[in-house]
Amino acid sequence: MCGIAGVVFKDRKLHPVGDALTKMLEALQHRGPDSAGFAIYGGLGLKENEYLLNIEVKEKPGLLETVKNTVNMVTAIETEEIIPSVEDSIIYRCKIALKSFSLLKPLIMEIDKIDDVIVLNGSHSFEMIKDVGLVKDIAARYDTASKMGTHAIGHTRFSTESIVDRYHAHPFQSYIIPDITVVHNGQITNYWKIRDPLERKGHIFETNNDTECIVHYIADKLSEGYKLEEALEQSVKDMDGPFSYIVGTPDGVGIAKDQLGLRPGVMAENDDIFAIASEEMSLHEVMDTHNIEQISPGETRAYTFKG
Amino acid sequence: MQKIEINASSKEINSQSRELNRAIKGAAKQYKRITIKNPNSMHYIAAGLTEPVDLTLEGSAGYFVGTMIHGAKIHITENAGWFPADNMTEGEVIIDGSAGDGVGQGIYGGTVVVRRSVGSRTGEIMKNGTIIIGGNSGFMSGLFMMGGRMIILGDVSEDAGESIIRGTIYVLGNIKSLGKNAEVIEVTDDDKKELKELLKAYDFKLEDEKFNQFKKIIPRSMRPFYGKESEEG
Repeated sequence: MCGIAGVVFKDRKLHPVGDALTKMLEALQHRGPDSAGFAIYGGLGLKENEYLLNIEVKEKPGLLETVKNTVNMVTAIETEEIIPSVEDSIIYRCKIALKSFSLLKPLIMEIDKIDDVIVLNGSHSFEMIKDVGLVKDIAARYDTASKMGTHAIGHTRFSTESIVDRYHAHPFQSYIIPDITVVHNGQITNYWKIRDPLERKGHIFETNNDTECIVHYIADKLSEGYKLEEALEQSVKDMDGPFSYIVGTPDGVGIAKDQLGLRPGVMAENDDIFAIASEEMSLHEVMDTHNIEQISPGETRAYTFKG
Repeated sequence: MQKIEINASSKEINSQSRELNRAIKGAAKQYKRITIKNPNSMHYIAAGLTEPVDLTLEGSAGYFVGTMIHGAKIHITENAGWFPADNMTEGEVIIDGSAGDGVGQGIYGGTVVVRRSVGSRTGEIMKNGTIIIGGNSGFMSGLFMMGGRMIILGDVSEDAGESIIRGTIYVLGNIKSLGKNAEVIEVTDDDKKELKELLKAYDFKLEDEKFNQFKKIIPRSMRPFYGKESEEG
């Protein structure tokens, strides 16, 4: 099944959005027990050229030092943090500075060459938290309730196509342009038809996961000047299969639903909050749901700060 | 004993659908009226309830509320998710708010009323019974409908009555497009009389003139897939 959720605080001020999304995802826990993830936007407060890396490192002697050395060869580590996780791995977080965004993906690929190490993500304007297990356990491990921000998207995963691990937990991120994330419920059945043109344009795929394909598709469209709403609308025309997915960008969130409406999606909005999710019980955690709207087959909705 | 309140978020039930349904079925043997507090959009509430009780959910229901009920009357004061009243054989499900996809899927009897708009595939594979939608109804309303009647007071989206075999869909608003084997005909005086009585019974107030504006979607052919030879004499 999978559960998806997104929430925007319209005033663009900092709110306890991590707490809001945690509650929304806990309400959707029954839709997927395998893993969960959050992309929490607006609260990192990094300088223009700074990035936060999340790196999964196996607990083996000397391995973390190797990772640090690899990063330091490119840029100095400014701050660092170790988050204990499960299955003999830790999450190593470090803040770095890069001269340009274009250097981020090559650095990630360099770190990924180290055995038993995988970069979960690198971001500037959002905090990625994704791990295996239940929402409440992940929320406690990463203290999601304390995270402040302007908007967020999240996911509870019921694995179908690919393995259960941290990397394949959603959200997925694209590096075509900064800080585009996607959470997804469903399947893209014309996956290769969508992927091939993107690869021919030089975009790099790390997995055969259809959610990665969606996030690159959207990021590619945004890089070509599409507005988020336009990218979502085009995706519904281009993609086959049963799907509902939510996109996160530095400026807002959006949802798209397949043309047959085979995966659920509901939304509610008031003067302060825009919220979307798989089910009403998730929306109910952040607002009054007297006036919820069903996302219709083939419909898209978005809320962006830039109008 | 006449009535009882059950709190779905109590320590005993802890918002677990199975525990709530156990409590509902136990109470239905002793009480005529049951009120559920804090249903919080839980799924398959009252599934398989076969006692003729009046059940009120004070809040929203999740998926499959009232699935396979026989004789119960369920009133939901807020919204419902996908497939409310799925496969109901007898009874009533009234939803004061909106609902998701597949309202009244496969019902064999009884009445489903949604006061506001609903999602897609309303009344799909329904065999009999009545569905009333106070607002709009989405894509492929009446998909593979095999009997019964559906009344939609708002608009219907694309492919209304897709592959309809039997039954009737009355639409007051606009029909965006028809599905395969569906056609639109005029409503008769008998249809108007039937609609008036039915809508009045469920507190839908329409001026007399409105009843002339209903469109009636019916199947073009009773045997669209297997040829012209009829088995019905």
